[in-house]
Amino acid sequence: MIGFENVRKEYPGGTIAVEDFSLEVASHESMVLVGTSGSGKTTLMRMINRMVDPTSGRVHIDGDDVAGLDPVKLRRSVGYVMQASGLLPHRTVLDNITTVPVLRGTSKNEARSRAHELMETVGLDAALASRYPAQLSGGQQQRVGVARGLAADPNILLMDEPFGAVDPIVRGELQQELLHLQRDLRKTIVFVTHDIDEAFLVGDRVVILRPGGVIAQIGTPQEILADPADDFVASFVGADRGARTLHVERTDGQDVVVDADGRAAGVLDAGGRSTS
Amino acid sequence: MSAATAQVPSRATPRATSRGATQVLFDAPGPKGRRRILLLSVVSAVVILGVLAAGLWTFAENGELDPDKWVVYLRADYLAFLGHGLLGTLKVTAVAAVVAFPAGLLLALARMSRLSVLSRASTVWIEFFRGIPMLLVVYAFLLALPAYGVTFPRFWMLVIPMILVSAASTAEVFRAGIKAVDVGQHEAAAAIGLGRRHALVHVILPQAVRLVLPSLILALVTLLKDSTLGYVVSYNELQFQGKTMVSITRYLVQTYLVVSLIYIVINFLLTRVALALDARMKARASAG
Repeated sequence: MIGFENVRKEYPGGTIAVEDFSLEVASHESMVLVGTSGSGKTTLMRMINRMVDPTSGRVHIDGDDVAGLDPVKLRRSVGYVMQASGLLPHRTVLDNITTVPVLRGTSKNEARSRAHELMETVGLDAALASRYPAQLSGGQQQRVGVARGLAADPNILLMDEPFGAVDPIVRGELQQELLHLQRDLRKTIVFVTHDIDEAFLVGDRVVILRPGGVIAQIGTPQEILADPADDFVASFVGADRGARTLHVERTDGQDVVVDADGRAAGVLDAGGRSTS
Repeated sequence: MSAATAQVPSRATPRATSRGATQVLFDAPGPKGRRRILLLSVVSAVVILGVLAAGLWTFAENGELDPDKWVVYLRADYLAFLGHGLLGTLKVTAVAAVVAFPAGLLLALARMSRLSVLSRASTVWIEFFRGIPMLLVVYAFLLALPAYGVTFPRFWMLVIPMILVSAASTAEVFRAGIKAVDVGQHEAAAAIGLGRRHALVHVILPQAVRLVLPSLILALVTLLKDSTLGYVVSYNELQFQGKTMVSITRYLVQTYLVVSLIYIVINFLLTRVALALDARMKARASAG
């Protein structure tokens, strides 16, 4: 479990990134922080592995205040996947994945065989192991980034707009594979994005942030869609434009669910639930 | 004397090919511009050829082009004499580079240190030896220090000043290289749990050194040229051997032309290596 208690972050010069933020993320849950730039979402996530220290307030992991933990050790025990993968360009794919386990004292051979398993898990061809990051496509680089994040088998995985830099089709594939992975691995995931669709897809629960790290609404995607807390949330999720409303049209004896623009979204099945 | 070492190849961003990048600032000339460029090229070519011809003419008038004065440079004893000097030059340059480059890296790291005492001391040191002409440093070792009873062998009276000056200027090359490494790499290193030292050794330095490799080779060219100050301390490097040869043979023009040619050939080869490395790196950087 990860807990934020009245966390505040103020930068020298008076800029307030986060005013007063409290949240509990349950173990094995994937929690998405979503908001526009300036909402403090990345700042908040980085407090978990102490890349940012809060000005006041506490962040704890399973009851331990992170302020009392050694930042380097802490970061090695928390997986981190960043935008544009952040791979080391002068090291091969395999070396990128094994960096952290080797630093933690795992033997080279063991780390390598584990890295090969991970590459398979994230859908990377074994032949890519000896390539350099610049020789991979954006999607492949991102997969390596995920494999590296998982290399030390952390309980917590932090993902900072991990699919922001790839094209929409590859992004869709990566999102689906993350869902698959999470079904098997059941990590505690904190995921930061500005894309509300991605948030609803990936998150068990979603936190919608206003500027300054103020929580506008927190809940499951269903709860937020069903009952937006206010106009800000409604506009953020697109409910105010009708973008989220679906209605049923009867075509050829089937109930077809159609979105606001008249595009078919799916067919209503006998149980009465829409399938997409 | 260190102008050539200050440049660091800019980090080519992926997909922005170097050709595309230079085109941005260069408007292709129109027909008028092309005519003007052609005219200026022809005029300057004529002027340069004229100067060369005048020089050769003067040499010929004074009998400097007399074949007898040139073929002697193919004699074994002449070649051995100059070869001895060349060996001295290469030895001085190699020893100076092997010490100065790592020292430059250490100075750069010290300057970027979080310890402000260390950083300030290193800054003063670097700026002092970058700003002072090397000749003065050589004189210090030749004249000033011996006055206080501190003397060095000739070899070191030349090499130590070369190390001091070159380390200071390469320190700035290394610093520029370290700064040129993408900020994201510092973040990435921190995020996966590398401490400051680990990040520097495993992430930042390997990339920085690769970035500055061409500049380092240019620094080697500068060192090679600086070694000509060996004549001040009478160390037998190439230029000093040339000087000695002139005093014996009286072939001033010929000897210095041959010596210059040797320097030019070596430095040309080094520069080619630097350019080849630079091109290879740009190609690799844009491979993504």
